[in-house]
Amino acid sequence: MLLIASHYTKAQNPDISGFARTYEGILFDNGNFGIMQQTLNLNFEQMGDKVAFKANPMVYLYNADSLDFRMRELYLDLYFDNFDIRIGKQQVVWGKADGVFITDVVSPLNLSEFLLPDFDEIRKGVVATKLNYYVGNSTLEAIWIPVFTPTEKPPPGSIWYIQPDFPAPPAWDFSLETITPGLETSEIFLKYTALTSAIDFELMGAYTWDDNPTLHVQKEFSVDPNTMQPILEGLNITPEHHRLAIGGGSLSSEIKGVILRGEAAYYNGKYFLTEDPLQPDGNIQKDYLHYLVGLDFNLGPVKLSSQFIQQTILNYDSNILNEKTENTMTFLARYDMLRETLHLELFSYIGLTNEDALIRPKITYDFDDSFSILFGSNIFAGDEKGRFGQYGDNSMAYLKIKYSF
Amino acid sequence: MKNLQITTAIIAMIIAIGFSPEVTGQILTGKQIIEKVYNRPAGDDQTSDLTMTLINKSGAQRVRKIKQFTKDLGDVEKSIMFFLSPADVKNTSFMSWSYDSDQSDDQWIYLPALKKTKRISSHSKNDYFMGSDFTYDDLGDRKLEADTHKLLREETMDGKECYVIESVSKDEDYMYFKTLVWVDKSNFLGVQKEFYDEDEDLLKILTIKEVEKISGIWVIINSEMKNVQKNHKTTIILSNIQINTGFAASKFTERMMMRGM
Repeated sequence: MLLIASHYTKAQNPDISGFARTYEGILFDNGNFGIMQQTLNLNFEQMGDKVAFKANPMVYLYNADSLDFRMRELYLDLYFDNFDIRIGKQQVVWGKADGVFITDVVSPLNLSEFLLPDFDEIRKGVVATKLNYYVGNSTLEAIWIPVFTPTEKPPPGSIWYIQPDFPAPPAWDFSLETITPGLETSEIFLKYTALTSAIDFELMGAYTWDDNPTLHVQKEFSVDPNTMQPILEGLNITPEHHRLAIGGGSLSSEIKGVILRGEAAYYNGKYFLTEDPLQPDGNIQKDYLHYLVGLDFNLGPVKLSSQFIQQTILNYDSNILNEKTENTMTFLARYDMLRETLHLELFSYIGLTNEDALIRPKITYDFDDSFSILFGSNIFAGDEKGRFGQYGDNSMAYLKIKYSF
Repeated sequence: MKNLQITTAIIAMIIAIGFSPEVTGQILTGKQIIEKVYNRPAGDDQTSDLTMTLINKSGAQRVRKIKQFTKDLGDVEKSIMFFLSPADVKNTSFMSWSYDSDQSDDQWIYLPALKKTKRISSHSKNDYFMGSDFTYDDLGDRKLEADTHKLLREETMDGKECYVIESVSKDEDYMYFKTLVWVDKSNFLGVQKEFYDEDEDLLKILTIKEVEKISGIWVIINSEMKNVQKNHKTTIILSNIQINTGFAASKFTERMMMRGM
């Protein structure tokens, strides 16, 4: 790949950019460091008329000596008259939603620090071949992913790891969790995009794997010799990824200065945990709808954005552990001042169903064009069973100092 | 991410201040003079490199570099900008479609870190462009009928015989109570423009420092906007200007926003 790129891009030196960043967070609960991270992000890019190349290695140093190297992207672009091809490890972003992932299903998420990383760092690259065919301002995009990449979860020991609450001691069998790369296990994604004067929209379809494994549960019983009643002795849990067919779309348009956004996806045959005794492995397949409406507008110099998100399990069964419908809102306010050197921002997820929230105020000052300092806070509040409230002990204040080059 | 909402190309600002070579012997009204300024020929397409320097009152400078393309497609003018520096906005691009009719502009921004093209509102005319002293309204086209134009006097400015035109907005919510523009009588080129705030106090002065005739069309290549109340200023210098090269309209697509120059 490198050889091809260097040959067709006139053998000039690659363009190098990136940033170095220190990120330290203190937990309100106990004063411990919730995060202590140093980051080096490098972008090597070389662009020619027919070929371009990009490599984006990132190095994260956690605490004193825990090194995490990630090649976020490493790909080659081939340009033709009416189509482009991108081959290699790449991040793909679909949809019109901000901070919510509905039709944005190509690149899996790194949730090892929950939803706290910047949204440009929360996705994982996938090894894929992407074809974009252009007709005017319309694009047909086809993606083939031969190697499945799952969602990255917090490891045990992390402050973001939630210990599952099992009614009996679990025994794990991970033998079915890995998907062997091959033609039959490939993922296919298709998208049509139109960018017009009145409206922008996307239509998408995917034959993919659920990025999150289904936990198939087999119960082991013994019999109480006195009462002759069964006693739950243990659980055999087998995580396994399953195929998903997804169809959906998104749109955005401007109406009298207000940007209206919408996005929806229909998931066919997603697995949900259930207490239904007729489901021998503790799971049931249901179709699932995930959609969003959002508005972006200005109130004087303040930029505002709000989104309403609903997730609904269709043909719901009351034994399913998830709620039938889960509603969430997001809210963003941003104010830039002092000739865009001081930035005030408040972003929040608000769980309407569980009455919990993640509130993220921050203030950023740009000392100059390459050097900025950020003070912020992540405040988890509300019901401890909620998606955000469960991290009530992880509320923190943090500092980020960033040097861009 | 810095605020990168932008109006049409910077070149549109040149038109707004700018200039018809036509010289007539008749006595012109303020509106007729401004009409000649607004209707100045700009060519079918233009390409240039733009360097914007923000200078604060202590003299410290911040520099933004942009590559821009503009093309007149009849009833719509399309422009696209590629941000080259500073580092945190590099590879960001902005596209605008501006219509001759009353239809609002369509504007999109591509954020390379997010790998996302977002439609943005074209109604934030009072916002400042990239922290500079130019608002989006200063940089964009302004309709002739949006203001009441009055010829105040004729006087000499920088050795040039000028008309002095007062333009008062018909919209009470407009950020400027009025503007005064000095127009060179010999070629209808702008020389200076003053902006008065809602309290009728002088807020900013735009000074045209250098113009050049390229492919038969006058282009401002060096201008300065000074905020006299806060004592900071912004200079814009254009270079590598090319006019009527006939580049394809396919330059103004999402494909090019994401791919870059």
